[in-house]
Order: sequence, then C-alpha cells, then structure tokens
Amino acid sequence: MLLDYDRMGGLRVALLGFTALVAGFLLLPVVFIVLLSFGSSRWLAFPPPGWTLKWYQELFADPAWLDAALTSARIATMTAILAVAIGLLASFALVRGRFAGREILRGLLLTPMVLPIVVFAIAIYAFFLRLGLGGTTIGFVIAHTVLALPFAIIPIATALEGFDKSIEDAAIVCGASPLEARLRITLPSIRIGIFSAAIFSFLASWDEVVVAIFMASPSLQTLPVKIWGSLRSDLSPVIAAASSLLVGLTLALMLVTALLQRKFRT
Amino acid sequence: MTHPFLSIRNLRKAFGAIVAVHDVTLDIPRGEFLTFLGPSGSGKSTTLYAIAGFQDPSSGDVLLEEKSLLAVPSHKRNIGMVFQRYTLFPHLTVAENVAFPLRVRRRSDAEVKKKVADMLALVRLESFAGRLPGALSGGQQQRVALARALAYDPPILLMDEPLSALDKKLREEIQGEIRRIHRETGVTILYVTHDQEEALHLSDRIALFKDGRIEQTGTGEDLYLRPATDFVAGFIGNSNFLAAEHLDTINGTATIRMTDGSVISGVRPNGTFGKGQKTRLMIRPEAFSMERSPASAELNVEIVDIAFYGERRRIVARIAAGQEVDIRPTSAAMQSQGVSPCSRQVFFDPATAFLFPA
Ligand SMILES: Nc1ncnc2c1ncn2[C@@H]1O[C@H](COP(=O)(O)OP(=O)(O)O)[C@@H](O)[C@H]1O
Ligand SMILES: [Mg+2]
Repeated sequence: MLLDYDRMGGLRVALLGFTALVAGFLLLPVVFIVLLSFGSSRWLAFPPPGWTLKWYQELFADPAWLDAALTSARIATMTAILAVAIGLLASFALVRGRFAGREILRGLLLTPMVLPIVVFAIAIYAFFLRLGLGGTTIGFVIAHTVLALPFAIIPIATALEGFDKSIEDAAIVCGASPLEARLRITLPSIRIGIFSAAIFSFLASWDEVVVAIFMASPSLQTLPVKIWGSLRSDLSPVIAAASSLLVGLTLALMLVTALLQRKFRT
Repeated sequence: MTHPFLSIRNLRKAFGAIVAVHDVTLDIPRGEFLTFLGPSGSGKSTTLYAIAGFQDPSSGDVLLEEKSLLAVPSHKRNIGMVFQRYTLFPHLTVAENVAFPLRVRRRSDAEVKKKVADMLALVRLESFAGRLPGALSGGQQQRVALARALAYDPPILLMDEPLSALDKKLREEIQGEIRRIHRETGVTILYVTHDQEEALHLSDRIALFKDGRIEQTGTGEDLYLRPATDFVAGFIGNSNFLAAEHLDTINGTATIRMTDGSVISGVRPNGTFGKGQKTRLMIRPEAFSMERSPASAELNVEIVDIAFYGERRRIVARIAAGQEVDIRPTSAAMQSQGVSPCSRQVFFDPATAFLFPA
C-alpha cells in the first residue's frame, strides 16, 4: 500500500501529532461543557472560580427538563425497537434475497446516512403536516426510525453475512420449521449485531436535533430541542449540565457496546 | 419383489444453464452404507440436497418406502444430516445441540436427557456435554454433529464430506467411528466424498459420479476389479493405460498388439471393437509380477527406478513407446531378490487387464 503506517518513518510522528490535534479540537468543546457544568460561575466563566453541583440540582428540580429527558428516552427507545425490527427483516432480504432491485433497495435504505439532514427534516415536516403527524410522538418515532435504519441495518446485515447459513439449514433438517430455525438459532447467533443495532439506533434518535426541531411542539420536546431552545433565551450553566448528561449517556452506551463486542469476539 | 427402501428416480437438477445432475437413478436397501464418490462438481452434493429437501429437483423423484418425499418440506422429512462445514449451533452447549432436534419434537425432559446421554456416549464425548462448540476441535465438532443427526433415530443419515476439513490421521480415526456407529445403529447412510480411499474404506456400495450421472454402482471390489468404464478404472485405485491395437475378440476375450509389436491374447474387452481399432489396455500396478507363470502375458519394459515403500516396492518402468508404467508387484520372492535397473520382461494375468476404447 502507498500509505503504509509501518513504513512512514518520521512522517509517523507528524501523523500522530496531527491526529491528536484534530481529536483534541473535536473533543475540547465537550470537555469544556462538562467542566463548566460543575463550575460555580453563573456566566460560564472559565476557568471556573469554584466547583458546585447546583446546576444539576436546578436541572433535576425543573420538571420541564425532566420531561424533555423522558420524552427523549421514550422516543429513542421506540425508535430503537422499530428500527431493529425493520432492520432485521431488511437485512434478511438484503443478505439472503436474490431479487431484482436488491441493490437499489439497499441504497434506498442507507440514503438517510448521506442525505443532508436539513433537507430530510424539511421534507418530512411538510409531509407530516399534511398527515397531521407533526408534533406527535408517533411522527417523531417514524422520522427518527427512518434516520436510524442505516445504523440498524449495517450491524445486523454484517452479522448475518458472517453467519453460515448451513447452520440454519442444519436446524431445519433437525426438524425446526424455517421460522423456528431463524428464531431459535439464527437470531441468537447474530445477537451482538442486533444489540449494536439497538444501541446505535437509540443514539441516532437520542442526540438528533435537526429533525427534532421541526417535529417538536411546545408540549413535545426532546432533550436536544430543549437545550437548543434554552440556549436562545438564556445562557445558563443548567444547559451545560443537561448537555453533560446527554453526552454521558451516549458515552456509556458506546462503552457497553464496545465491551460486549470485545467479549463476543473472544 | 420387495420394494427398495430409498429410491432415487431419474433425478435431474439444473441451475439455469448449468445442469448439476443429469439423470440419477439409484435404489438403496435399508441399512446400507452407500457412498457417492466422484470428482468435485460431479453433482454429488446436489443429489444429496435433493434428498434432504434443500434443492427442488427439476424432474425425477425421491421415494422413501414408495412414498415421494418431494412434497414434504425439509423439516418434516425426519432425515439426519451432517454437513461439510461445522454447523453446531454456536450459542448452545454440546448437550443442548444434541437435544435440539428432540426439543423441537417436544419430547419429554426425561427422554431428552436420556437420549442426549446415549448419543454422547455413542460418539464418546460424554465429558464434553457442557462445552460450547467454539471450545471443541474440528473432529469433535463433527462427532457432536453426528450425535445430533442421530438423536431422533432418523431412518436415513446424509453426510456431505463431513471429514474433508480434517487432517489425514484424524480422518481415519473418525472413519472408524462412523463404521462402528453404522454397525451399532443400523441406520441407512448416504455418504458423499471425493476421496476414493475413504469410499473404499467405509462403504457397502459406491455410486461413482461423473458430470451429473452415475458412471457405475457396485461394491468397492466391483469397481476395482470390474470397472465399467475407463473413468471408473482411472478413478478407483491406480491404473496404467497403454496404447494397443485390437486384433480380434473370440468368446469374450480379446487379442491385441502392443506398440512394440508384441501380441497379447486373453484380455477382457470392455465394449465391442473392430479389427485394427485403436484401444487402451488398462493394467493395475498390483497386477504385475516379476516372474512368469503359466497363464501370464509379458510386457517388455526398461526399468527406470525402484523405490522402497515399506510394505511394497514401486517400480517405474518405460515401454518402447516411451510411456511410463507404474509397477507394484506383490510377489514376496521379488522383495527379497530385488530388481536392478535393466531391460527386462514383466508379467501380468491378461484376465485382470481391461481393454477400453482409445
Ligand atoms: N446453487 C447453485 N447454483 C448454480 N450452480 C450450482 C449450484 N449448486 C451447484 N451448482 C453447480 O452444479 C454442479 C454440481 O455441484 P455439486 O453437486 O456441488 O458437486 P459435488 O458435490 O459433486 O462437488 C457444479 O458445477 C456446481 O457449480
Ligand atoms: Mg459437494
């Protein structure tokens, strides 16, 4: 290969430094937000004059914040369930199916990953207004499921591709109906893919803000929407606390996935 | 006449333009160990899969005790199968794997427990009951697969090259196990392999496949001693094919002229030949002897090389036309006397030599 890491010599140090710089540049704002959420300054001064948990107390005392967090969790959970269910069926069709238009279907299902999000948001907003789904939980879940589908399909399809179909055939010769063989043998065998799909789709909804802004109503707001809204009215450290929680849950879920994947590989 | 236990009738399977199986007809009696032998791509697996129900034949029929299996879905055929690849259920223990076919049949816990113990004893893996498949060697996995396939007492067991991924020593060991299990259970076995030694070692009968057809069916001895075609002669055992001219055939034995002009009579023609027709004479390396006997014919050769192989010697010789001849004499006398490189005559019984079209 042209760019072989082992043969780059001095360039290696430069590459390492550059990577660290980019990673730092991307991560630093997050680190600042978390630090500020524990800082005692009302004006988000840095470095903070002292440390406190009062912004978190304020956050948990405000039912609007709690409500937004619960809404986010509820929508993300429903999105994850729906995306995994559809993702499973789609993966079987994409991996096992031999039909005309399979590649087109694959492209279509993965489009939300590359489509400019704001275009999708406007389109679905206009469409849902007509259907009366704007500002409803169900509308939220449908929109987020479309966005989450690629993140559900990719790990499930990958796991299914790595699963030897002969094993399913063996279960069928053993007397299991094709459905039973898939439920009792194939699904447990690709469970790590299904689990990753669930977490990734949950997260795709959990931290999604653009579509959520279009879908939200005053009575139905997810956490990112609430953060966005509060940001425009007043710049309080409570927002930093809410953001930290958002980041915290995301990190925790990613960590769990990584650990599980490592455990399954050995 | 009693009906055959399993019957394959004019089976044909085409994948688009590719015809995998042209026309296979075969009757298998209950309890037989029958092997599909043949080169890769000759349609063995496709035939087996048609019996298992994974391939719908393009035409033809598969009958078990005179009832067609074709309308019966795979999972209702009650057939056992061991695959070429490792197919144990990765998330279930060895015992749970063997129990699976019994669980889907809703057998009682007590029965499942007893049967699993019996099966693991049959394949001698009792102490592995709690392991996951990932913690077993390839040979052990295939033995568990065998136990799982036999757990529900299927009338037929299909095996598609189950040992091809194992090394030679392990393969021979498990071949012994499979023979023992066949003896002990009496199950009818259809076994697929491309390895003639494995086929000869295991089977009651062999069906030799070539290009989607059965070339010959018979015991290993039949195929070895009485090959129906030159393909069979070439595939089973070792053989020399020497160019010869057919002179005439009287009372079922032929007289031929070799390329060096010598005339040999008493060989067995496979087909009918005209005078002067070009033919090929097949002689097994083991059919040669270094001493003349009353019935023997002779062949003028030049000895090129002699190699010692433990139980026997292998001689590479050359006939006048330049073609090499593989000679593995069985005579004990020759072993002690030894043979030195020279021009000489070697001998064979013409009744063990077959004439095939060129
Ligand atoms: N699903 C399939 N689609 C197309 N061709 C196939 C398929 N299965 C087998 N074949 C072809 O049919 C022929 C016989 O295959 P197979 O029965 O697997 O041979 P064997 O088991 O004797 O090696 C081969 O030429 C193979 O390429
Ligand atoms: Mg095969």
